[in-house]
Amino acid sequence: MASDLLSIGASGARAARGALEVTANNIANASSDGYVRRSVRIEEVASGSISGRGTDIAASGSRVAEVRRNADGFRQAEMRRTQADLQRANVELSGLENIEAAVEQSGIFNSIVEFEAALQQLSGDPTDSARRAAVLSEAETLAAKFNITSGSLSSVGEGLRFNAVANVGDMNTYGAELARVNLRLARAGFGSNDQASLLDQRDNLLEKMSAFASISTTFASDGTVAVSVGSPATSFVSGGNVGTLSSTTAANGTMSFAIDGTAISPGAGSLAGAALALDDLAAVAIRLDSAASSIASAINTAQANGVALDGTAGQPIFAGNTAATLSVVLSSGSGIATAPAGSPANERNQQNLADMRQALSAANPADNVNSILFDVSAKVAGRKVTQSALETIASSARIALEEQSGVDLDNEAANLIRFQQAFQASGRAMQVASDIFDTLIGIGR
Amino acid sequence: MINLSTGAFYERSTTQIGSLRSRAETLQQQIGSGQRLEHSSDDPVAAARLRMLDREERVSAVDTRNSQTAENNLKFADEAFGQAAVMISRARELALQAANATTSDEQRASIATELDGLRQNLLGLANGRNAAGHALFGGQAAGNAYQIDSATGVATYVGTATLDAVEIGEGQSIVPGNTGPEVFSFTDSSGAQTDIFAELSALSTALRAGGQAAADAARDGLTMLDTSFDKVTTAQTVLGSRLAWLEVMTERRTENMERIADERTVMGGADLAVTMSRLQEMLTVLEASQSSFVRLANLNLFSMLR
Repeated sequence: MASDLLSIGASGARAARGALEVTANNIANASSDGYVRRSVRIEEVASGSISGRGTDIAASGSRVAEVRRNADGFRQAEMRRTQADLQRANVELSGLENIEAAVEQSGIFNSIVEFEAALQQLSGDPTDSARRAAVLSEAETLAAKFNITSGSLSSVGEGLRFNAVANVGDMNTYGAELARVNLRLARAGFGSNDQASLLDQRDNLLEKMSAFASISTTFASDGTVAVSVGSPATSFVSGGNVGTLSSTTAANGTMSFAIDGTAISPGAGSLAGAALALDDLAAVAIRLDSAASSIASAINTAQANGVALDGTAGQPIFAGNTAATLSVVLSSGSGIATAPAGSPANERNQQNLADMRQALSAANPADNVNSILFDVSAKVAGRKVTQSALETIASSARIALEEQSGVDLDNEAANLIRFQQAFQASGRAMQVASDIFDTLIGIGR
Repeated sequence: MINLSTGAFYERSTTQIGSLRSRAETLQQQIGSGQRLEHSSDDPVAAARLRMLDREERVSAVDTRNSQTAENNLKFADEAFGQAAVMISRARELALQAANATTSDEQRASIATELDGLRQNLLGLANGRNAAGHALFGGQAAGNAYQIDSATGVATYVGTATLDAVEIGEGQSIVPGNTGPEVFSFTDSSGAQTDIFAELSALSTALRAGGQAAADAARDGLTMLDTSFDKVTTAQTVLGSRLAWLEVMTERRTENMERIADERTVMGGADLAVTMSRLQEMLTVLEASQSSFVRLANLNLFSMLR
């Protein structure tokens, strides 16, 4: 009888200590990434009475029945989805901002205006060597600015592609890790501490993967997960098997992705953002090239129609017809063909200069570059609005999940006192059992 | 019961304080630079407009330079006309003196010498250069306007027939001077085309010949010199009106520059008073949320456990 009491007290103390350990673990992991608050379910140990009579007291104490993980599947899925959208917006926005900076900060628009102004200035006195030299040096600045812009744009593209390739590598690593977790989950006991921490790992990996691409998940009853990536949804992780995500870079710098050879679009996440930004980049590069080539062809054609200061036929000012290759090949300002064909040396007739300016203003590179800048910056401004909306949505989804599954230190402090008291009370019950036993022993004396 | 997670509390506070801070920093940047736009994407429409304003301003600056050059050339020409008028008046005085019956042949010969000198000076004026070193009255010619035959002394106009106009902005252009024939050539009483240099040398030759013919030639010369004087002063008047037009355009450009500056301030400038007070407001809110964050973070059951 008294030994029963002792074991009941011991089981209570054991259960309370288990609960204290879980509480301490919660406190220790209050700021751990992806940690889901654990709680213990303590249940009564029910046993039949030895004598088999229903009226007998048949108490056997308590035990820790389950270490419960307070995860909410819906909120987790919601957080993964919103995070994937946010990552896409973030990467696309930062790519676009870099494109904007490349085109804007190189001052390409100003240098086109300066070049036009130098030509206009030359029309004031077409034989003035200083004004001719000014035109040539502005042309050199213009070509250099186009080169710089093109260089900056290609380094923006390189940065985006480097990150995307690194992300693809990470995605494969996480996929392999998730497959291993799946295998171990299939063997873990239900409600065990081991299973809870494996599930933490699983959710953590899913969260990381969702930052790269849109993923859809199917959970089995044993906690293992099958993951499909992108659209069309293609199986990536299934049980212990994992596919291979690969990326291909096209000649114009855009990227495409495939799983085990099946082409997919990432749909969301940083890979989708990188793909979108690279598409924008390729479009901007084409428009910039066409602006550069329109300047070169307008000026060079006009040059060919006129004669230079020394009366010889005009030679091209520019070489190259892309932003990266545009350069000035005319060596001296006296080579600028201001006079119409057939004019003698030192002719002040500036008909050809007027034609040149006419051709340049018809090609209107300043307006073209202005509209490139406007389009890019309007896109950036639009994406900023989208991004800040997505940020709010993602952050509230994260907070909702944290609120549900995160650790509340006040709660844990209360639990600590509660279970400490339960432990002390159980100890007290054991003390009473010991006293009763002593009393019974002492009766015979 | 809703679980108030510690992590969620910190996460929410970080987001809120972070966003307040970044907004305050944006305002601070606007005050520092005086510009509302740091990147084009802050306001794409305004940024595109600002770029076009920059372009207008740059073009306007070149127009200013070109119009200053034109003004200089016009002033050079104006000055030359003034001097030419003085010389032609002097020639008329001499012709009047030579036409007088009491003037002797010797006196007429010396008058002829002075007239030759005046003709040389007028030729010098006609071959004058503008600020850029080109012929002032030679049209688009690079060298002299009049070529003087070394043997006969005959002056022939070698410049171009017209002078190209110079752009002075807003689609306006101005002819920055006159060609020689426009000033020095005229038709004589018989309707033939002639110029002052030929007439002066003819007059001086006639005066040197002496006799009644010299006095008659001097009398005819008076009419010729009057026509020539009229021609020069008319050209000077036209020049004056061109100079006035240049001034009007310069004024317009100045007003245009002011408009551009105004529009730029409206489009891209940060209103200091508004920005300052918004920054102050933002800082007050930021301070309040920081201090409430600290207080809330300190509210911890663990600090009660002793």
